[in-house]
Amino acid sequence: MSLAEGGAAIDVRELSKRYGSVDRGVLALDRVTLRVANGTVFGLMGPNGAGKTTLIKVLTGISDITSGDASVAGFDVRRESLKVRARIGWVAAEVILDDDFSGWENLWLQAKLQALDDWQERANDLLKYFSLDDRKDDKVGHYSTGMRKKLEIALALLHQPSVIFMDEPTIGLDVATRRMLWDIVTGVHKEFGVTVLLTTHYIEEADALCERVGIIDQGRIIAVGSPDELKARVRADLVVLETRNGLDPKLLSSLPGVQDVRAQGNEWIIRVASAEQLLPKLLQTVPSDEVRRISVEKPSLETVFLDLTGHRIGQEEPMRDVRKFYAQMRRART
Amino acid sequence: MRSQFWGLYVREILRTFRNPFVLLITVVQPFMWLAFFGSSFGNVPGGTATLKALFGTGNYIAFLLPGVLSTSMLSVGMFGSMSTIQDKRFGFMKRILITPTSKQLIFLSKALGSASRGLVQIPVMVVAALAFGVSFSLSPLEWAAWVGALLCLAIGFSSLFLAVTAPSTDWQTPGVVSNFITMPLMFASSSMFSSSQFPGWMQAIAKVNPISFSALLGRSFVLGTPPDWTYLGYLAAFAGAMLALGYGVSARWLKVE
Repeated sequence: MSLAEGGAAIDVRELSKRYGSVDRGVLALDRVTLRVANGTVFGLMGPNGAGKTTLIKVLTGISDITSGDASVAGFDVRRESLKVRARIGWVAAEVILDDDFSGWENLWLQAKLQALDDWQERANDLLKYFSLDDRKDDKVGHYSTGMRKKLEIALALLHQPSVIFMDEPTIGLDVATRRMLWDIVTGVHKEFGVTVLLTTHYIEEADALCERVGIIDQGRIIAVGSPDELKARVRADLVVLETRNGLDPKLLSSLPGVQDVRAQGNEWIIRVASAEQLLPKLLQTVPSDEVRRISVEKPSLETVFLDLTGHRIGQEEPMRDVRKFYAQMRRART
Repeated sequence: MRSQFWGLYVREILRTFRNPFVLLITVVQPFMWLAFFGSSFGNVPGGTATLKALFGTGNYIAFLLPGVLSTSMLSVGMFGSMSTIQDKRFGFMKRILITPTSKQLIFLSKALGSASRGLVQIPVMVVAALAFGVSFSLSPLEWAAWVGALLCLAIGFSSLFLAVTAPSTDWQTPGVVSNFITMPLMFASSSMFSSSQFPGWMQAIAKVNPISFSALLGRSFVLGTPPDWTYLGYLAAFAGAMLALGYGVSARWLKVE
């Protein structure tokens, strides 16, 4: 099936990925079904450990599929792995370059790995586009973080891929560099017409960059849509009330306008048509010495995630996988 | 396929030559063997006559040089494995594999890259041996055969190391494997002493030990005794078998991270 016939740059069907044995292993992806249209920027949003990186590993051929099917750029990930890898680019969460090589030598190596013959003109164009042309002969070990990220994106674009995977491209970056990268991702998408699948756990990043967003949690895709479509699904404010002791949920449910009440420890997530109308009544109903904190959240991707999963995107589960812990430590250091 | 191999092979070579410390150790380590171990027979009772009786030459360093060059090819394998583990730990293996490059090609480039690096030791050691009073009267064919024998040995050991460490991402593994392999292979060979003085069980190992083949062939060239050319065939077979082993193992078990 060609890309034109399929119409989807990425097509994932009932895909599962398990690490380890059935009884003691971890199901990192649980029957994921996903379709990313050609030429779009698609964001996969979820907390650490949700399965975002695993999905990228599977789609790029780094990890085997346990069950299900996936195709990228029109080629089956399992049966036509080399063809897939010739048509994709990859930007890692941690910048991965050969620090002993100059920028130009890193591009040379990438050209060799992609078996490109006439790559120099394209490489020069990319260096100019990313304003790295005057530093191309310097060792990349001497580059700033922003320059290294730019070079990594240039490597990913060198062979004119159909799809670029960006795995948490802005993790660990300062605000200014993150904004610069947002501009680059938007520019690259427009300039080179490439499909981008990026993973992130930054709400504002998904909102700013992505035409469509998939929300992933505990290995499952729980919602897909444009940021506006997803926000429209909530159609309510969320009032988060933290109390010192337990409360009777019926007390909260009985308040006017309340659509739903969910408990999470000492925190109550109250879904309500209008937070402004609820708050005075809430404060009259709940004894003031019981209230530790009240916050109001208007519809956003964060509230969508909270509404769908019952927990926040930054609220991680205890670290059970030691390898994942060390991987995150390495990322944090870079 | 040729393009990917060439890119990765050149990367291996450049990384070595751009790391002065690795280059220094690669060169200095066998030199120290010559200087310290080679000088240990300086005051042997009976002098040159004893040395000639034991080693067939009055200059022990002439006897030792082919053996030291042969055993130093073992450390070449360790460096190749460490470079692979470094690529896994820093994610570079992923960068390579998210291109149309197979795991087998990565193995081949690492094996041949580290073997080529090992050959750097030959000219350095020959010059050092000259400084220690060894004279060379090899024909061009004998030089080529000696280098070829060492290349086969280096390819064989670097392939073996890469095959054994393919599933590992632990920095310590190459060192542990090296300690495990190096000691018995080095001493149960004709690299430093004639195996005729070994007990029977060590002679049995020395007879099939590729380090012995390389050491004996090189020694016959240096000392001007008739060479046994079949050793070159054995070494080529060893290199071929280890390459095939590493090729198969890396396709199945080379871990990405």
